[in-house]
Parts: sequence; C-alpha cells; structure tokens
Amino acid sequence: MVGRMGIGSREKAASLLHSAKFAMDIPSKLEHLHQLKEFLLQRDPSLLPEFVPQLLEFQNDRFSPVRKFLAGMIDQLGMEHIEFLPEMVPVLIAFLKDTAPAVARQAITSGTDLFCRTLEKVAIQGLCSSELDSSLESSWDSMLKFKDIVYPIAFQTGNDGIRLLGVKFVEAMILLYTPDPDGPSEPPPYQAYEGNVVGFNMSWLRGGHPMLNIGDLSIEASRSLGLLLGQLRFPTVKSLSNAIIIVLINSLSAIAKKRPAFYGRILPVLLGLDLSSSVIKGVRFCGAHHALKNAFVSCLKCTHPGAAPWRDRLVGALREMKAGVSAEQTVCEVGKFNGIVEDGAGEAYSIEERKPSMESLDDVHIETGKKRSAQEISDLVQDDGLSTKRVRPTPIVSQSSTKDSNAVQDNLPSTGSTASAGDGDSGPVQQLLAMFGALVAQGEKAAGSLEILISSISADLLAEVVMANMCYLPATRPKAEGDDESMLNTGYITSTVGSNTQGIQPSSFVSNVFSLSSAFPQIARLLSAQPSTSRDADKSQRGNEHQAVVATDTAAVSSSINDLTEAVRPTEVVVSTSAVVPSKMEDCSAIPPEAHDMGNFESGIPGLDSSVYTDGLLETLDTSRLSSADIQGTNQEEVTSLDSSPLNFPSTGSTPVDRSEELNPNSTTHTTATSVHLSSQYVLPKMSAPVVDLDDEQKDYLQKSAFLHIIEAYKQVKVAGGTHVRFSLLACLGMEYPLELDPWKLLQKHILSDYLNHEGHELTLRVLFRLFGEAEQDRDFFSSTTATSVYETFLLTVAETLRDSFPASDKSLTRLLGEVPYLPKTAYKFLECLCCPGSNEKVDKELQSGDRVTQGLSTVWSLILLRPPIRDICLKIALQSAVHHLEEVRMKAIRLVANKLYPLSCIAQQIEDFANDMLLSVMNGPNVTEGVDAEGSIIEGPKDSDLENPPNELAVSNVTKEVASDSTCSSILDAQRCMSLYFALCTKKHSLFRRIFVIYKSLPKGVKQAVHRHIPILVRTMGSSSELLGIISDPPTGCENLLIQVLHTLTDGTIPSPELILTVRKLYESKLKDVEILIPILPSLSKDEVLSIFPQLINLPPDKFQAVLARILQGSSHFGPALTPAEVLIAIHGIDPERDGIPLKKVTDACNACFEQRQVFTQQVLARVLNQLVEQIPLPLLFMRTVLQAIGAFPALVDFIMEILSRLVNKQIWKYPKLWVGFLKCTALTKPHSFSVLLQLPAAQLENALNRTPALKAPLITHANQPNIRTSLPRSILVVLGIAQDSQSSSHTQMVQPQTTDTSNSGAEAVTEKNKESSTVS
Amino acid sequence: MKLRHAMVCSSNQNRSMEAHSLLKREGLDVSSYGTGAHVKLPGPSLREPNVYEFGTPYKQMFDDLRRKDPELYKRNGILPMLKRNSTVKLAPQRWQENAADGSFDVVFTFEEKVFDMVVEDLHNREHALMKCVLVINLDVKDNHEEAAVGARLALELCQQLEGTESWEDSIDDIVAAFEKQHRRKLLYSISFY
Repeated sequence: MVGRMGIGSREKAASLLHSAKFAMDIPSKLEHLHQLKEFLLQRDPSLLPEFVPQLLEFQNDRFSPVRKFLAGMIDQLGMEHIEFLPEMVPVLIAFLKDTAPAVARQAITSGTDLFCRTLEKVAIQGLCSSELDSSLESSWDSMLKFKDIVYPIAFQTGNDGIRLLGVKFVEAMILLYTPDPDGPSEPPPYQAYEGNVVGFNMSWLRGGHPMLNIGDLSIEASRSLGLLLGQLRFPTVKSLSNAIIIVLINSLSAIAKKRPAFYGRILPVLLGLDLSSSVIKGVRFCGAHHALKNAFVSCLKCTHPGAAPWRDRLVGALREMKAGVSAEQTVCEVGKFNGIVEDGAGEAYSIEERKPSMESLDDVHIETGKKRSAQEISDLVQDDGLSTKRVRPTPIVSQSSTKDSNAVQDNLPSTGSTASAGDGDSGPVQQLLAMFGALVAQGEKAAGSLEILISSISADLLAEVVMANMCYLPATRPKAEGDDESMLNTGYITSTVGSNTQGIQPSSFVSNVFSLSSAFPQIARLLSAQPSTSRDADKSQRGNEHQAVVATDTAAVSSSINDLTEAVRPTEVVVSTSAVVPSKMEDCSAIPPEAHDMGNFESGIPGLDSSVYTDGLLETLDTSRLSSADIQGTNQEEVTSLDSSPLNFPSTGSTPVDRSEELNPNSTTHTTATSVHLSSQYVLPKMSAPVVDLDDEQKDYLQKSAFLHIIEAYKQVKVAGGTHVRFSLLACLGMEYPLELDPWKLLQKHILSDYLNHEGHELTLRVLFRLFGEAEQDRDFFSSTTATSVYETFLLTVAETLRDSFPASDKSLTRLLGEVPYLPKTAYKFLECLCCPGSNEKVDKELQSGDRVTQGLSTVWSLILLRPPIRDICLKIALQSAVHHLEEVRMKAIRLVANKLYPLSCIAQQIEDFANDMLLSVMNGPNVTEGVDAEGSIIEGPKDSDLENPPNELAVSNVTKEVASDSTCSSILDAQRCMSLYFALCTKKHSLFRRIFVIYKSLPKGVKQAVHRHIPILVRTMGSSSELLGIISDPPTGCENLLIQVLHTLTDGTIPSPELILTVRKLYESKLKDVEILIPILPSLSKDEVLSIFPQLINLPPDKFQAVLARILQGSSHFGPALTPAEVLIAIHGIDPERDGIPLKKVTDACNACFEQRQVFTQQVLARVLNQLVEQIPLPLLFMRTVLQAIGAFPALVDFIMEILSRLVNKQIWKYPKLWVGFLKCTALTKPHSFSVLLQLPAAQLENALNRTPALKAPLITHANQPNIRTSLPRSILVVLGIAQDSQSSSHTQMVQPQTTDTSNSGAEAVTEKNKESSTVS
Repeated sequence: MKLRHAMVCSSNQNRSMEAHSLLKREGLDVSSYGTGAHVKLPGPSLREPNVYEFGTPYKQMFDDLRRKDPELYKRNGILPMLKRNSTVKLAPQRWQENAADGSFDVVFTFEEKVFDMVVEDLHNREHALMKCVLVINLDVKDNHEEAAVGARLALELCQQLEGTESWEDSIDDIVAAFEKQHRRKLLYSISFY
C-alpha cells in the first residue's frame, strides 16, 4: 500500500517535472513547477533527494521568471530541508551573476533566509551537543561561501536593485552575529525550536559552541559594519545613488537601534554625513535627507542606556537640519517624536493637539490673575520703586533660553527613565511625581520637558499628582533667602526670581509662571532659573520642586474643570489676559527694591516679552490667539501706563473680571476656590471644584447667548476704538463655535443691521479672511471644506444684502468684493445676475433697473483692475453683458468695455477676439427671414435713439434715425446685439473696421441693414483716418454699397479732405469703375472732371441723378459749384445717346429733373442755355424739346423764344427733321406770337408747316391779312396763305396734310405728347 | 512585471480613494489605506468631525451623513465622495493593520506625515521577506480638486514604475524626471518586507 502510493506519487511528480520542462510558455511552466514544489514539500518529501537535482537543472532555463521561481523554491526547500543546501547554494551563487536582476535579487533574498536559518540551526545544535552532524556542517559551509560572494555585491557599484538587497544581507548578518541586548539571553529548551525559531540571539552562544566562535563572529560583524559605514564616508558616498544612500541610512539606523553598542560607531558617520556636498540633484538631497532625519529621530527614541550619550548631538543635528532644509519638516518630525511640539516654531503645527492644554493654561491665568489683582493691589500701589535688579538681565536669559528650548527635547525620555529608576517603588502617580522632581532638578534644559509633561498628562492624573505632592509642601512659608552670592555665581541673574519669589510667596511665583506660559520661552526661562538656584543652594531645591508641582497642580485643577467653564471661555480669556500683567507687576513690586536700575525695564517685563512673542503665533494659534491678541492690546497699553502710574492696573484688570463673574457663577466659585488654595498651603487639600452638569441644550443656550452678548457689546465698544483687534477676535470666536449654533448668522445679522455704523466692511473682511485662512491653512479635508462653504454663504449673503439695501451708487459692494480673500463661484454668478439681468433668473425684475447694471459693471471693472487672477472671469461677465439683449444693459456694458477695458493692453486682445467672434456669429447665424417679430417691434420704438448711441459720444443719435428702416426684423436686432461691441471697438481701433468690409458681402440681408444703421455714427466718429482711407483705397470685393455709404457719411456736411478725394478718385480710376462712388465727392471735383464722367452720371437711376445734380450744383463752399445750372443743362444736351451709349430716355429724364428744380433752373438760366445751344452746330438733339419745356415752364419767355425761333429759321431748321417737328409744335403752341416767325419761313416750308398744323392756317391768314403785314410779305407766302390765289393753295394744302401726318416720326410724336403735357401743367 | 500598489492618506477617504479609483480604472493592482487612528469626515463645525472606525462601510457612512444633514454634506462634496468610494471598495482600511494583505511593491502617500508613519510602520515590521518596497510621498492638499490632480500624477508615476524592468535601478532617474516635468516635490524611501 505504502509502496504503491510512493510509486504513484513519484510518477505524479515525474510527470509534473516533465510537463514543467517541456512547457512552452512561462505561465504554464511556472504553474507546473509550483505544483511540483507543493507536491514535494507537502505530500511526499521523501522524493526530494531524487528530484532536487532535476529541479536544479532549471537554473539554465531560458526564461528568467522560471529561474527566479527556482531561486524562490530553493529558499523554501532549504528552509524545510537544510541538508540539500550544499547542493542548492551553488545554484544561488550562480544566480547572483544572472543576467536578469530579478533572479539575482531573488537569489539574495533566498540566500539571506537560508543563511539565517542555517546559522540558527548550527547554533542550536551546537548548544545541545558538542558534535554537529556533517550535513549541517557542509550546509553552513556553503552558506558561508554564499556570504563571501554576496559581500562584494553590497560594496561594489553595480545594479542598484541587487545592491540594495546585498546591503540588507549584510545588515541581517551583522544583526545575527551580534548579541541582542533586548532579546532573551538564554536559549529556550531544545524542543522549543524544532519548529520556527523565534528571536535567535547570539548571546546564547556565550557558553561556547563547537563551531561558532562568538568572538570571531562579532569581529566579523564589526568589520562588516565598518564596510557599510565606509560606504557613507566621503568620497565613496558621492558615487552612490540616492536609493542606496537611503537604504544604507535605514540599515545603519536599524542596526544602531537594535544594537546600541554600535551607536558610537554608527552615529558619528551618520552625523558627519554631509549630504549637501555629496549630492548634485535636488532630488537626491531631499529623499536621503529625509531618511537621515528619520534615522536620527528613531535613534533618538531608543531608550537603551547606550544611546543616551548621543542625544545632545542628535538633537543638535536635527536642529541644524531644520535650519538647513525646511523648518517645518523637522519640527513636525520632532513633534511627532515627543508627542507634542515644544519649540516656538513648532507650536504652529501642533496647535490642534495642544488646545486642551492651552485652555487649561488660560484658565490658570484667570484664576491666578484675578486673585492676584484682588489681593495684592495694595502691594503694587506701595511698591512703585520697581525692582529692576531681577528684571534687567532677562534679555540675556531669553537669548539663551530660546536656544535651549530646542535642546530640551531629549530630556523627556531620559529623565523619565531616571525618575523611574530612582523611584521605582509604586504606581504611576509616584513615578510621575518623581519625574517632575527629576525634571526640576535637571535645570533649565528640563523646562520644556516639564511643560510637555504637564500638557500631555491627562487632567485627572495630573490632579492625582498634585494631591500626592501636597504632603511635601512646607508647613510654613519659606523665608526669603536673598542670597546675593548665588545670584552672582549663577550668571543668570534671573535666578533671583526663583529665590526671591520663594521668599515672598510661592503662589505668586506660580501665577507668574503661568501668566507666561502662553509663550514657551518665557516659562522655560523662569523654570530654568529655579534649578540654577537650587544647585547653589541645596535647601531651596525642595521648595522649588514644590512650586513647580504647585504650578502643575493649578493647571490640573483648572483643566479638570475645564469642561465646566468652557461655555464662558471666550470671555474669560479676555479677563485673563488683562489680568496677566498686573500679576506680573506684583511680582516686580514684591521684590525688595535692592537696586534702582531702570535700564532695560520695559524689555524686561515678561508680559511685554510674551506679547511680542505671541505676535508670531497670531497666525496659527486658535485658542491662544484670543488671549495673545488681547495681551498685545492690554500690555502695550498698560506697560506704557506703568511708567507713569501703576495705579491703573487694578482698574483695568477688574472690569473684565466683573463681567466674567456675571456670565458664569461657576467660574467665580471656582476662582475663589483656587485663590484660597493658592494663598495658603493649608487650604489646598480641601479644595473641591463644584461641578455643575449642563445638558447639551443648556450648553448651547449658554454659548449662544454669550455670543449674542458679545456681539451686542460690540455695538457699544466701537467708541472705544481698537476695533481691528476686536474684529479679529469676533471672527475667531465664530470659528470656534459649533456650526449648528450658527454664529455666522448672528454675525451677519449684526453686520447687516447697520453696515456702515458697525464697520460692517471691516468685520466682514475679518470674518472672511479668518474663514479663508482656515480653509487654506488646514490641510485637513473636513475643516477646509466646511470653512469654504461657510465662507461662500457668508460672502454671498452680505453681498446680496448690500445690493438689496443700498442705493446702486453705493460703492460698498465693489469695495467688499475687491478686498475679500477670494471670490467663489457663487460670487461670479451673483455678479453675472447683476450685470446681465434676466439671463440667469427671471425673478429679480426689480434688479433690471439700469443703475444696478451700472453698479455691477463698475464692480466688475474694479475687480478687473484690482484682481488680476480673476480678470478673465470678470471680463467674461462684462463681455456677456456687452451682448445683452436689452439695449440699455448692452450699451452700458459696451461703454465700459470699449472706453475703460479695451485700453488695457493685457485684455485688449481678449476683448477683440470676443467681439470678433460675436461679429462672425452674426455672419454664420441662420439667415432669419423677414418675419416681423412682435416683441421686437415693441422694443424697437424706444430703442432707436439709444441704439444709435455710440459708446462714447452722444451727439449723433438723431442723424441716423432716417436710416433706421421700418423693418423690425428680429435678425436686425440680433445682429445689432452682436455687432455693437465690435463697432464700438472700431472707434477705438480703426484697423478693426476692415473686417466689417470683408464680411459685408456674406452677411444676410437683415444684418446688412443693421450694419448700415451703425455705419454713419461709426464713420463720423472715426473721421477719414488713414486706416479708413486705406480701406477705401483697397476695398474688399462686394462691399460697394457699404463703401458708398461710408463715403456719403464722410462727405456729408463737410468738405472732404484732399486725401479722401484723391483716394476715391484713384479707386475710381483703378479698381472700381462705378461712378456712384464719385457722387459724394462730386462737389470737390473740377469742372472738367465732372464733365468727363457726365454721361455716366446721366446713366444713373433717376433718384441717384437727383442726388448727383444736387451735389454738382451745391459744390464746395470754397470753390463754388462744380458746374453752374446752365452748364449742367448744356452738358446734358451735349450727350449723344448713340456715341455715349446712353438711352435717350435717360437724357430726357435728366432734363426733366433739371426742369423740376425751378428755383435753380430759372428762366434766366434757361435763356442763357438756349442762347448758347442755339449757336451749336449741329443743334443738340433735344434742343426743341428743351425750348418747348422752357416755354411750358416759363410762359414769360415767349418773346425770347420767338427770337430763338427766328434764329432757327435762319439756321434752316427744316433741314433737321426731328427738330422741325419740334419747331412746328413750338410755333403752334406759341401762336399768335409765333406768327411772325412762321411768316419768316420760306414759302415751301410755310406750306409744309401749315399742312402739318392746319389749325394754324386760319389765324395766320387773318394775321397776314393785316394791311401792314401783308405788304411786307413776299408773294409766294401770300400764295401759300391763299391770300393771293385762294383755291389753288387751299386744295394743295388739303392734299398735303395727310402726308405730313404720316411722315411725322415717332420721336416727334413723343415730343408732342410731352409738349401737351407740359403745357397743361403750365 | 505587475506591481502591487497601495495608496495611503490619513483617512482613506479622499486622496487615497481618488487615486485608488483611478488606478483601478486603469487596470493596476491597487489597494488603499489610511494611517489615522480613525476615519474623520467633516462635521457641522470644525470641532465636530464625524468620526468612524476603520472598517465602517462607506455605504453606512453615506447613509449616516445623509440622515444627518443631506444639504451640508452634499454641498461640501462628502456624500458624492462616499458614494464614489463605496463603488471602489467596501470600507476604509487602516495601513497599520494591513499585514494580512501581503506585501506591496509601491506605496504611495499623499502627505509627509503619512509617509513618515508608513515608513516607520514598515521599519517596525519583521523584515522576513527581504522584499523591497518603494514608499513615495507626493504632497497633495486634502480637497477634491487637488485630490483629482494628485491621483492623476500618482497614476502616471505608477505606470512609469510598472513600465521599468526593476524600479530599484532607475528610481532616481524616474523621480528626477517626474519632479522636473511636474514641478512637484517627491519624497521616497525604500523599505523592506
């Protein structure tokens, strides 16, 4: 059965091995190997001897993960079956040089494990028997070989990853080879380590070992350590990578910690490690530096006696590092180490943890202060001969003490241990008591530690300690020793404080100490003074101890009742700080006036010192800020008053005391209790703090009413001045209050109830800055988010109230937003609502009044100027407003943007881009059909005047009204909305104007209309600037209409500049052959020029020609009209339709146009024109037509016309068929005046004439028959008239008549018609 | 080589979870922890944080806070954050109690205090495995926006580490390049499991 199973499992293993060997991919190979390993180890270890060699063949596998797995497997196999090591270790050694670093790393890892394991096995076996079995021996040998190979790896440059493990191996070896002082020094019974050996210790081998010589091993360890240390020595360290340095430092510090015996070797190297010189990149510096610092800190923490001597140097090094790198890191570090931060700078960081202790200290202030002020006023009054003997040297001390405050750190652990060593008897209370004693005895260095100890012990425990210490208090008050010698000896004259206060009254000293304790150096100084005395005078030592303990006692008591008084704490703090100074002054006064040196009096006053000191803390302290701020105030005040009269103190001190008593009876009771306790030692044990349990609601109520009270008080306090400090206090107070009590709402109410009189602005700013500080400073997620949300709400509420309750012209809102620490998103929304009413909320109709918009915009403006970081956002708001759909809003915004913002070079481009985008959006927008928008038309009415208002000028508003079409198309409105800004910018930067020309072509119709509305104002504002001329000289295609409008505007009412004329003329000649563009400048053109283009002008549509006519005749005031009316008419007549390619109709129209202007084309003009025309050869085509028109228009001209007609007769008018018809018409029209002219015609022509217009015949005959006329007529005429030969002539004429009617051409007919028309008109 | 990552901040809520969520989404092997004594979330005032034990499911916190003051916690982003977290894993875990989770290759911290705690904790553990672990600190402010930025940076760095054959050899270069590119200071240390 067994055999079969053995065979079965063997086969199984073999098949696994086989498949592992021949698997093609890494995962399956690994999987098979894993199964095989499990199988061999768990199921059938008996197969191992057979399979190990086969497994080892995998060392040559081509896959590095497989080799790595093998290395790991060797580890596991070796741990269980150490006997295979001689066989397997060579593989590991080979792996060390493997090409894949991962394999080498695994090899070292496995090797380290195996090395430890083997050493333990060897050691333990050697302990049990004098002989080792040979397999174990050879295993050990192979491990030693491995060690020898690994060693160089740890110390030579090469692959860092492997080297790290090499170092780690050496570390492990050193630890193994040296006795562990903390581990069990005796080996456990043999049976115990059949399984896992826990905590092997080299010291077990002290009794001797057959193979291992503990001495040799330590020598080797020591040598290895030397090698490790050598790495960190200059210059080797320079060649190391950062990672190696870190690991070396970590390893060494671990060794130092575990084997304190090596402190003396390791620390000098670490301390001497000058990373700054060894490192080039900033990166390296940081990581290694940090590691070093951590190493120091962890070394510092070691409590082994061997480590003790190094403390001072470590602390020194840490402090140096702090100076070298960043203070905060080290301070944090040290703070962490001691549980609390003790030096000045450190307070900032540990403040949260420290709050409780600070509170308790504050409480002590109050009690002692109050007591003192009440009790010793008389002393104070009497002793205004101030003892400066004690005070004078303080500056010296403070210098040294600040330095020492750092050194103090190390004292806590060491003294702790000494204390317990010396006083090892009973429970924690006794131990603590002893520790206090020891600390006090230690001298100045211990002052900080003492402080920490006090603040870190729980209140009850501390109380216990105090109780226990009571029995040591002397029964009588110690006498004053006043030994001057000791003062002189110590060099710290402050020591007198110790001895003197002792002599006077212990409790006064206590109060002194605690009044100073808000600033640490001070307490350190004072406390340090004591021991120095105590060294000199042995007797006083005990007394000093007691005082110190009494001091802690007070702290303990007060902190135990801390909860109780917390409700009124804020008020109390105010009390306490103002009371502090008096208590100190008492001290001074209590000292016998030995010397009257007034030298450094002020600087020597501890209170003043502390106030200066707290200045630095102001930023970070939460609770203590309350007190320190007030210390500042009161101290300065009182110190100055001190010089003149110390009598002031009682009064200043007592007022707040009263108030606190009102507020909290508990605290009063407590105060008396404490004061009793302090004033006499005998009462001390009887002291008991009355405890009143308040439920939560009561607490809340108390807190709330206290806060309200304070706020109320502020309304009066304003008169007293110093508000800025007070406001900070109020803000801090709000911070401290639980949120559900809603202190902010109360504050807001106060602020907003009378913003101006309550200095609402200042207070709001304080509050906001405080909140901001909270949100920013605290890296802590919770507090910052809460502070942020409170901040937002607060700011917004105030802003909204300001908006709603103040007139729009008020600048408070602008000022507030300009000065707050930052603007949250909601504030931008708020501004947006203000600047762009209706866009966000329809609700605030009332806000839409223009004044509010102005207010919003001016706020935005000032924000842009004052707060560059948010410039973009504000600008966006302004720009949005500049395209607002309401005209009024938009124009205001545009005025702001164009006049105020655009000139700012930093944002000009942005504005331009935006305007540009808006302009282009118009072009790309949907081509809105001309549907009339009902709403739009409503707006249109009042809009017009405003609409045309350019941003910065008001004069031109009415000019374009006529231009404004009746179209109320919404697209125009929309286009205007979008384009106004751009146009406004054009007036500021003329070069922008070109774009309008460029896009003009592609604009939809409605938009074009909008453009045309804008242009006149725009152009008038710009004038004919060079940019504009540039555009005119080279206009983009398709913009002719626009161009002409521009030209019209430019020339309208003014004389165009020569440049303009030149430009236009050039344009006409070169590019744009459209005569229309010349119209605006016609008046400025010379006569010849006008004449040269006259045909084209005639060819214009009638309305345009009217304009042309007006311009030509108007002329310029300087040069007179380009053409006189007569010249115009003559020019018209000079046009030959065929030659000039102009329809006759156009020419006649032109004539008609002239005749319509009778004021201009008077009869004199006409006469002159006709006079000239009649001389022309050939006669102008329209000559007769004009004559007819002239007679129609001015019947008075008839005589003149007759003259003309007779001249025409002389010119043989009948030779021009067209004119002949006209001539006849004319004669018919002007009968009877024309009879004389008719009679001048030759007979044939007369006959023709009469045939054509038979109606003439009869009157003419009558006329001719007049005797005087008849005689003058030639016979032929008479024949024609039938006066001579009646029948013949008449039949002839009758026969001819129809012919002439036939032959009359259409042109003549037209003339006739026209003639009839004009005659009817006239 | 597939590395195991751990993201660590103090409460295992914001920064570490943001990074955890992101790295997880990108397919990395990642866990997250907090080093604090408790899980603290903002409360109604600065002095009254909501304190939970590690191991309290995010869902439970979510329900708790929603019951207390949905408005406040929604506004300061706590509820959305908790909701996100509950989709990533069940509950916040404490670094100091993660021995059972095995060894990590890269531990990413977001605050120097946390970094020190992790390094010290690793230091105090038994170094039985002889396995290197890289501890990197990137200071990230504890708010939602910065956390998102920090997470992206963490992802980038982790991907870079993952891309190298063995970070032990090139860590200095990677860190230097990263610092140069992002102008953020990195702190790293190497510890052993």
